[in-house]
Amino acid sequence: MVYKFHLPSNKSTHKRLKDLSDALVSLSGITGREIVNQEGQILGSLVDLVCHWDSAETYPPLTGIIAKVARRNVWIPISYTESIKPNRIKLNDSKLDLREFKPRNGEVRLTKEVLDHQLIDVDGARVVRASDLYVAYIGKQPRLVGVDVGYKPLIKRLGPSVFRAKVSPDSVIDWATIESFGNQDSNQPKLKLSANRQELRKMRPGELADLLEDLGRQERQELLKVLTPDLAADALEEMEPKELEGLLRESSIESGSKYLASMEPDEAADALRDIDENLRNDLMNIMPKDKSSRIDRVLKYDEETAGGIMNTILLFAKQEDLVGDIIEQLKNSESDLGSLNSIVITDGDGKLLYDLELANLLIADKNTPLKKLMKPPATVTVAPDASIKEVAEILVESRSFSIVVVDSSEKPIGRIYADDLLDVLIPSERFHFPRLLSS
Amino acid sequence: MKPFILNWPKPSFRLFKNKKRLLFPILAIAGPGLIAANAGNDAGGIATYASAGAQFGYRTLFFMLLVTIALVVVQEMCARIGAYSGEGLGSLIREHFTIRQSSFALTLFVIANIGLVVSEFAGIAAALQLFHVSKFISVPIAAIFVWTLVIFGTYKRAEQLFLILSLAFLTYPVAAILAHPDIKLATNQLLTPHLLYSRSFLLIGVALIGTTITPYMQFYLSGAVTDKGIGPKEYPKERISTIFGAIFANVISMFIIIATAAAITKRGPLASAAEAAIGLKPVAGQFAKELFAFGLLGASALAAAVVPLSTAYAVSEAVGSERSVSKSIREAPIFTGLFTIQVIIGALVALIPGNLINTLINTQALNGIITPIILVYILIIANQKSILGEAANGYVFKTIATICVGVIGALSLVFTVVTFASWFGIKL
Repeated sequence: MVYKFHLPSNKSTHKRLKDLSDALVSLSGITGREIVNQEGQILGSLVDLVCHWDSAETYPPLTGIIAKVARRNVWIPISYTESIKPNRIKLNDSKLDLREFKPRNGEVRLTKEVLDHQLIDVDGARVVRASDLYVAYIGKQPRLVGVDVGYKPLIKRLGPSVFRAKVSPDSVIDWATIESFGNQDSNQPKLKLSANRQELRKMRPGELADLLEDLGRQERQELLKVLTPDLAADALEEMEPKELEGLLRESSIESGSKYLASMEPDEAADALRDIDENLRNDLMNIMPKDKSSRIDRVLKYDEETAGGIMNTILLFAKQEDLVGDIIEQLKNSESDLGSLNSIVITDGDGKLLYDLELANLLIADKNTPLKKLMKPPATVTVAPDASIKEVAEILVESRSFSIVVVDSSEKPIGRIYADDLLDVLIPSERFHFPRLLSS
Repeated sequence: MKPFILNWPKPSFRLFKNKKRLLFPILAIAGPGLIAANAGNDAGGIATYASAGAQFGYRTLFFMLLVTIALVVVQEMCARIGAYSGEGLGSLIREHFTIRQSSFALTLFVIANIGLVVSEFAGIAAALQLFHVSKFISVPIAAIFVWTLVIFGTYKRAEQLFLILSLAFLTYPVAAILAHPDIKLATNQLLTPHLLYSRSFLLIGVALIGTTITPYMQFYLSGAVTDKGIGPKEYPKERISTIFGAIFANVISMFIIIATAAAITKRGPLASAAEAAIGLKPVAGQFAKELFAFGLLGASALAAAVVPLSTAYAVSEAVGSERSVSKSIREAPIFTGLFTIQVIIGALVALIPGNLINTLINTQALNGIITPIILVYILIIANQKSILGEAANGYVFKTIATICVGVIGALSLVFTVVTFASWFGIKL
């Protein structure tokens, strides 16, 4: 949820936002502020706030602060603080034991590791950069509650520190809808996604593809890791081929080939086309044979021909087969039925006889042989070297969702769906420029 | 069951089997390093190199040798940063420096780039002046043309035309050889230190640095390496390509200097593009002017779109509108606005009455002043083990890189002081 704070629609929201901003402590505002004891004596200044990440909690609790005391960075656990106000931190009367900060598992330094870094705004399905972070007390526990992604906090941070304490949120996002990356294991500087991963899994593949393209390398790999293989494959299919190539290059051979194997063969082939030969061979070699051969069948053809955009996953049947048997087979098949809408019927030599839409099976009697369902008009096919334009013309004329590609001996070798064709025909509107300020 | 099959055995004759790949395989093999380094040979670069040749003969060759070393060192660092961190320079600066330091770098980057945009429009004006088109006609038309190409997404197609036009400058080595340069003198001045203390030599020196080691290119390089997914595994190959690219680009630059130095015998600052075109006479004869004009036009138009785009990208990302950048350009108001403003500023400044060649060289000098400051950021990042791990600069490399940055910085500083002083009538 993005609250546009600069567009208060009426008085009551305005007041509510004001109350809210009074309760918020801005990270950039409090950094460098004094830390006082019960008597009001200044002990040092604030360097950073530390949160605990890897919890199931929506709002990460603060576990302590890093303070500069006598030119040394020391660790003060949150239990030693009495209050955290926008411009000062007051400690309680526990006796301080000044130690150096050593991050424990799941602990993240907000200024050092989160501020100005990339985050995922799940609701908005976008990658954002934190320009400020907000902390508030929920009950007795101070927690990280929101992130500002607007540019106003940036301008404020440029100016003198005296103006920073007052919170004037710009575009604040509730932390509950944020996926963050943070240092999980102190020994291994590797990024890990924090909680609520479920939210990510609910996103549409296209949205995930946008995120993957916008994230930095480590963040991208981390995001891929938490997705289910199927969802990851769907998201990768939606990525721009150039971006996907880059992603394959940066992934390990093992995971790269795993992604490719679970993608539709035409999409996988598209990504592999421009990649250098050694890497392509490596990726293909460790893939299961059936998966790599179906990609190979597409790769053989020029990308601007029917063969180059066809999906090589086909459902086969013989004309003697009974409708009931086919339905049983479909029930037990591992294929993703969502993307298959027809079944090719071949003769004994494997030549195409008819392309039958699956919907026909629904209304047919279980004991009907498929032969009975083969009615005119005849199935229209294309040769693998037909141009995209020809395929489009034929598909429009035949008024069907897909068209079968047959080789010179009339054996079906693939199928082109209307959406594959749309992908090719509609030029990408997206403007891609080598990333300069992010990665 | 035959009648059910209706095949489509339509033969298709296609002249270009793979149209879009006619030109780009070379670039794809070349890699970001080569592209980045060669983009230095844009309008400002040509003007600066040609002017260096015209004014100082072969005397700047030794200086160019030093600049080549610096370019190799810097671009290697940028490519390494991209490969090992997986992030572009801009992102790293934002994440590892304070907001003030980051915005300082960003501001300088923007200023340097606006300088470049000005130089690209000045380049277009200079090119068309050779065809007797007034800059008051050519520049506004070029601005509208470039803007329209980018906003309506047809830029990619025009890019190839510009690229082919700019290849005209690859004839410089041939021109240099055909011009029968004094090889002994040239070799001598290439290998023995030849630095002059004069304001004009300083200006050319800083401009040579600025046009060869452009801040924009360093950002581009690290971003492009990251974008291609080049990681530690592929880096050894990328490193060779980057180093080769830097050297190749500067060899071309030196040939431009030699060709101009040999063709123009009367030593003095370059007065016009027509004079610079003389350098190509040995190759193109009476068509030297046309060849030069086409090259200049192509190179300028190419960068006139890319440079403001990169600035717009950098700024809109810095304020956190990352997503808008990967969307269609028309859907991104901030991005489009920034792009438009730069095109307008660039065109307007290029229209200020004065010598276009001077405008070109001055914008490169502006880049030259900014370069060492950006290099400090690059050096700090490349030195850090926490960012690059094992690939961080080692002791020896750190020393060499620091010396490079230090020398460039000192030169820029002297130039700035001398220039400032001259504004107040003080001659240092």
